[in-house]
Amino acid sequence: MSVQDYMAVKAARTGTGISLRNRRILIHAGIFIALIALWEISSRLGWLDPLFYPRPSAILNSFWLIFVVNGNIWYHLYVTLGLVFLGWVAGSVLGVGLGALVGFNPVVRRFLKPYVIVLEATPRIAVAPLLIAALGFGAPSKIAIIMLVCFFAPFINTLSGVINVNEDRLDLFRSLRASKMQVLRKLVLPDAIPVIMAGERLALTAALSGALVAEFIQRDQGIGSLILIYTRNLNMASAFACIFTLTIIGFLIFKGMEMADQRIAFWKNEPGMKRVSDRRRRAMAIGG
Amino acid sequence: MTMYKAMLLSTALCVTAVPGALMAQDLTTVNMINPLPRSTNFYPLVVAEALGYFEEEGVEVNLLPSDTSIPYVAFIQNGQADLAMLDPVETINARNAGAEISTVYEVMQNAPEGIGISESSTATSVADLVGTTVGLVSDRDRAFLQAALDTVGASIDDVQTVVLGESGPTLAAALRDGNVSAISGAAPDWINLIANGIPVRLITPEELLASPANTFAANTATLEEKRDAMEGFLRAWTKGMYVSQVNPEAVAEMLRQGVPAEWENEEAGQMFLEMSIGMNLSTTERLGDLQTDVWTALQPRLLSSEAIASEVDVTSFLNDIYIDAANDFDRAEVEAEAAAWLAENM
Amino acid sequence: MSDIASPKSVKMEIGLLRLLPHLLLFLTLLAIWELAVRFGIITSIIIPRPSAIIGAIVTLYVTEGTIYKHFFITLTEAVVGFLIGAGVAVTLAVWSSLSDGFRRYVTPYAVILNVTPGIALTPIIIAWFGYGMGSKIALAAVICFFPIFVNTLTGLTQRDEDREELFRSVGASNYQVFRKLRVPAALPLLFAGLKIGLTTALIGAVVAEFAQATDGVGVLMSRFSFQLNMAASLATLLSMTIIGLLLFYTMEILDDRIVFWRRDSRMSAVSRARARAFKAQTGR
Repeated sequence: MSVQDYMAVKAARTGTGISLRNRRILIHAGIFIALIALWEISSRLGWLDPLFYPRPSAILNSFWLIFVVNGNIWYHLYVTLGLVFLGWVAGSVLGVGLGALVGFNPVVRRFLKPYVIVLEATPRIAVAPLLIAALGFGAPSKIAIIMLVCFFAPFINTLSGVINVNEDRLDLFRSLRASKMQVLRKLVLPDAIPVIMAGERLALTAALSGALVAEFIQRDQGIGSLILIYTRNLNMASAFACIFTLTIIGFLIFKGMEMADQRIAFWKNEPGMKRVSDRRRRAMAIGG
Repeated sequence: MTMYKAMLLSTALCVTAVPGALMAQDLTTVNMINPLPRSTNFYPLVVAEALGYFEEEGVEVNLLPSDTSIPYVAFIQNGQADLAMLDPVETINARNAGAEISTVYEVMQNAPEGIGISESSTATSVADLVGTTVGLVSDRDRAFLQAALDTVGASIDDVQTVVLGESGPTLAAALRDGNVSAISGAAPDWINLIANGIPVRLITPEELLASPANTFAANTATLEEKRDAMEGFLRAWTKGMYVSQVNPEAVAEMLRQGVPAEWENEEAGQMFLEMSIGMNLSTTERLGDLQTDVWTALQPRLLSSEAIASEVDVTSFLNDIYIDAANDFDRAEVEAEAAAWLAENM
Repeated sequence: MSDIASPKSVKMEIGLLRLLPHLLLFLTLLAIWELAVRFGIITSIIIPRPSAIIGAIVTLYVTEGTIYKHFFITLTEAVVGFLIGAGVAVTLAVWSSLSDGFRRYVTPYAVILNVTPGIALTPIIIAWFGYGMGSKIALAAVICFFPIFVNTLTGLTQRDEDREELFRSVGASNYQVFRKLRVPAALPLLFAGLKIGLTTALIGAVVAEFAQATDGVGVLMSRFSFQLNMAASLATLLSMTIIGLLLFYTMEILDDRIVFWRRDSRMSAVSRARARAFKAQTGR
């Protein structure tokens, strides 16, 4: 029975006409609204310190101000997201590349690993002046900082994925005289992909906070500098509005990556596996 | 006008405008590194840009707002920044480290630093702080506290210090809840607290009030080479400063449009502007002039509060070669331009 | 038998031999750096001479010994923060892997916590945990929670269908499947997560110190940097890096011992030990 059939049956059984998935979304939404209401009421009753917890109604008002009335957030948002994306790509390339290099070559691993660890253990704030001196003020040095912040997770995960090859399957491949390329493509890579994807997800969220660190150091533009201005002026409602904007975007990106993950590592879940095997079966039927 | 004619006309306009635009692009970029992005705190920049003064001088300002954990002086040295905003302690430390920098302009002649207490506190002077916990906005404010305690014969060991960080809410809560008896910080901190309902009183000792705060430092080796751009920049800056002397409303409106994020609360914005004018508006006859005696008198107390390692001869870095040119403008003209801007943009 | 060197001394010799190229490489880099500064190729204030840095190290560690207090504070903040963060993360990940419902309701909040920038949380964390080590530990724990959670969860939810079938065919209970199959399968990823988490916790502690702290390696570093004493600042940075390296290699050793089946030599050592224990038990 496919997943869709199952869901249809389940919906029919509940008799409310709401599918299981929609019901879950409603529950999530319900919890969320309840929390917000609790926050607002506590704030009005004076239970919450207004300095640290601005009222949801004030935050909503700020959203209106900065997105619509003044519209000053759009440009900064564009700038920050651009940095996040570029930094993430750079960091992933560096992390996966280094991880693979180090994973496949024990000699390189011995020499490179200490320096990579040293790099990771160094707070980027300390390295920032050197990066700026080398790459100049502005986007290049900011992207470099983000790259350094987010490369480690892909590196470690890729390294782990490449090293932990299933011994039995490796023997099987070798006994069938598979070439190195084939071993790499058909055994190592598929096994490593879920791990690498997990690393990529971590890298993306790290890139988001990396962008803020970069903007904390070079405060000319971006959401990070906007948050600093609002926090300095004790305008916590607007500061929180900016922060929640980032949270929402980060969350959406994360979910997007999960969906991409399901498509790429399709064998890990039922519907994906079924979809791909159907497609392949059809292709073979046509061919043969 | 038909479609065809309109297209022809606009193409002609573009073709003739482009060389014009390219010519106008012949601006020299002045890279300035300072702690804040465009802000009410340094309003001369915003005002001068609103009135087009930098463009007039053939200068384009590339602002590089950076956290103070970055050594600004290093970027003056390697040429990535033309001007850096430093305070006296940073300047003297840089000279002690052998950096070839010159201080060419005093941006703020009244020190924004101070010791703030809660309105409800019974303290009347710094002497009352002995035996209590005093908050510091940053590690560097310890030296100021030490100097303040020095003036009443106390020492830094007579108080407990705790670093609170720059975050507004934390400072506000610390004063409000009485976690600290006072805070050693600077004017922007007080303004924000006051504007947000946390009344602050200052008990800064008199002796410490007259002290150059922020100054512009430049690379000694390229002072002549960059003279035109520097003088143009400083003249535009000085004009911006002058506008606040004659037309603060215009300044307020320029800031409202230029930095809306700081003016979402109108009252806070006004308070901020008032205090900024107090700090930015020069008290010397030539605006932005370097007060040699003040710098010389400053060093012994900096030395005793361990803010600097050793004293430096002020003539080795104070350099007023740009000051005359910076003050060389028609006051009346600036007044008129500011009034006209305000009328147009109200 | 005496002309064959004992295993221990051979190991030591091999160890030293392996260390030598590393040392040579490192010393060469240092020498190039020193010469570059002496001959004026590097003139920036930001990059001091290695000899000046070494001088600063001596002052910090030996002559004045200023650094020990700060070193200890930052190390404690990082480790305690990590332990708390890892403890919570692994627990939540285990529950999430066992219960679909739990996972569905916890994961979104974990993601939200992760993507909310640290800057935002700092004032609140300081308000809750005070101006001392508490807030740094809290931030370190919050920041290192997510990588550990994600990696552990991924490790526990990956299914080896064949092996599971095998287990069930010999009548294993749910608990046995969990303990003997899924946990060992998840360990490599778990340890990868712990390694990431440990360094992340250190960074979290130091970043928190940069924002607000009275003592700690981060404070010391920015103090020296402000005084333009870059040699001392870099010396302090080196101390931070040493902390990071120590922590990382501790985790590697643990990884090696616990996930023993990955290295042949460890595997044979453990199976020999187990064989011995088994023999002793059955008395054969």
